Amino acid sequence: MIKRALSYFFGTATAIVLTLWSSTSGFAQDPAKGEQLFTNNCASCHNVGEQKLIGPGLKDVDKRHDEAWLIKWIKNPAGMVASGDEAATKLYDQYKPIMMTAFGSLSDDDIKSILAYVKEKNSAPAAPAAGTAVAGGGGGAAQGDGEQSSGFFGIVLVALLVVMILMLVALFGILTVLNRLATVDPSSPEAQKIPFFARLKESTGKLGNSPAFRTGALLLFVLLAGKATVDGMYGIGIHQGFAPKQPIAFSHKLHAGEYKIDCNYCHTGVNKGKQANIPSPNICMNCHNAIKGSSPEIQKIYRAIEKDQPIEWIRVHNLPDLAYFNHSQHVNVGGLQCQQCHGEVEKMEVIEQRSTLTMGWCIDCHRKTSVNSKDNHYYDKLVEIHKKDGVKDMKVADIGGLECSKCHY
Amino acid sequence: MKKYLPFVWIAASLVVVGLASLKRDPQHQAWEFAPNMYYPVGYEPLSQIDANPINSATGKGNLNMRVPVKGTIPRQYFASTDGDSVISKLEKMDMIARNIGPNDLAVAETALTNPFPTDEKVTKQGELLYGRYCLHCHGGSGKGDGPVGKKYGGVPVYSSDALKDLNDGHIYHVITYGKGRMWPHGSQVSPEDRWKIVQYVHKLQQEP
Repeated sequence: MIKRALSYFFGTATAIVLTLWSSTSGFAQDPAKGEQLFTNNCASCHNVGEQKLIGPGLKDVDKRHDEAWLIKWIKNPAGMVASGDEAATKLYDQYKPIMMTAFGSLSDDDIKSILAYVKEKNSAPAAPAAGTAVAGGGGGAAQGDGEQSSGFFGIVLVALLVVMILMLVALFGILTVLNRLATVDPSSPEAQKIPFFARLKESTGKLGNSPAFRTGALLLFVLLAGKATVDGMYGIGIHQGFAPKQPIAFSHKLHAGEYKIDCNYCHTGVNKGKQANIPSPNICMNCHNAIKGSSPEIQKIYRAIEKDQPIEWIRVHNLPDLAYFNHSQHVNVGGLQCQQCHGEVEKMEVIEQRSTLTMGWCIDCHRKTSVNSKDNHYYDKLVEIHKKDGVKDMKVADIGGLECSKCHY
Repeated sequence: MKKYLPFVWIAASLVVVGLASLKRDPQHQAWEFAPNMYYPVGYEPLSQIDANPINSATGKGNLNMRVPVKGTIPRQYFASTDGDSVISKLEKMDMIARNIGPNDLAVAETALTNPFPTDEKVTKQGELLYGRYCLHCHGGSGKGDGPVGKKYGGVPVYSSDALKDLNDGHIYHVITYGKGRMWPHGSQVSPEDRWKIVQYVHKLQQEP
């Protein structure tokens, strides 16, 4: 009886010891678990690599301090500084007044896992493998693009060839006309004796006297002069294509396109008022306090803030003062996309006026666009009344979108 | 005279061909028919045609906008601070929040609560606003993996142990004054919008 009890006791004891042993050695350093713990607890202040965020970058942290010290530090950093630990005090002096948060809830194994993850992340071989995979994928995509564009280039090539043949025909025609007009056969030996300029002078003189050529030239002249005049007249007051060099080479393509920053983040007034607003430097600084601070273009923001002087952006889109336009009415109430009037801003390196912004352009849209009356009780009665009149699809023009005094007052 | 006629013709043709094939110079605006009707006589906040003679004296160049008098606060709901409506609650919260300084995170945690009721509609509006002001850093599900966040670094995970229980006041205060790596966003996001975002962030905190 006692024997059985004893063997039972020893059995459980060995089992417990075994579990403990396996938990400390077998699962102690699990980088996958470490990654999860790192992103949840550490990533807001520490980078895995060398970059300094709020606290130091954790690359080679295991070489700077030994594991036991790190575990103690992470669990109670303030206590270590208070106790006068030399390394801890040095670290605190470097990052004063910020004190690292204590992570008493993390077990020794958790911390070991995190350290294992940091070590794994910084060991070199993993990165190039991923890099080649990406490069391979990129290459494939580029090839696909190549095929597509080669088809396009084929069409261009054929078109160019046709143009060249036409030009050859035209040149040949001119040559025969010139030959016919020449008094001396240009291929005869006596023609070679006459100097080149004399020959040219004679040929052009004769060409000038030919009535067919004169009529043709006059017609071409009148047509081109007419086109230049009409184009010039239509272009008065229309700044379409205006894309001035701005004081800072800001790229919408990078910010709105690649990094997908919403238009509203910087143009804060677009849903709230008449103007969309040009962001003040403090909005730039939300990211550029850390990102690419050494670039000369970004230095311009810092200088503007230091001197407390505005950055003088050149206004691109401007409606004449005689017309009233309100952004919030169109964007917030009407639900229009910015791109509808401003073009594909997220693809523009330099901001450009894409639309004409003429009155005809405004009116055209007011005629075509249905009123966004969904979930907007302001329009309930209007919709009802229009339905009675047989207008099912209420356009902006139906509710006064063409009235002069809506915009001109 | 007749001797030079061909040259005159050639020169005229060149000028016309040049004019006809001219593309507008993107560096300059087009000709204007009546600039005195296009440009406002009064000062506009975001454009300046002639130098501003008043503000140039203050050393601010052509700045049209003036800094409000120190201590100025917007009072759009001033008349309605009494009562139980959302707007009066919002205004009351705003009054309290304005007296909480950038370093008083602990005070904000206890003193502020969301004036908006917890419902689907507000959360939905919060989601829209979150997309505008937060998503590019904090990511679609609040995991700190937005396209800008990856480059900026140090963007926390809302659902992590440290952040998943943070209350209304804490989140509101962090949006207003920033915390750690995050800079203040109070100038961009109105108090009303901040509270709506707070409600949506609560939803993201629960997301695994």
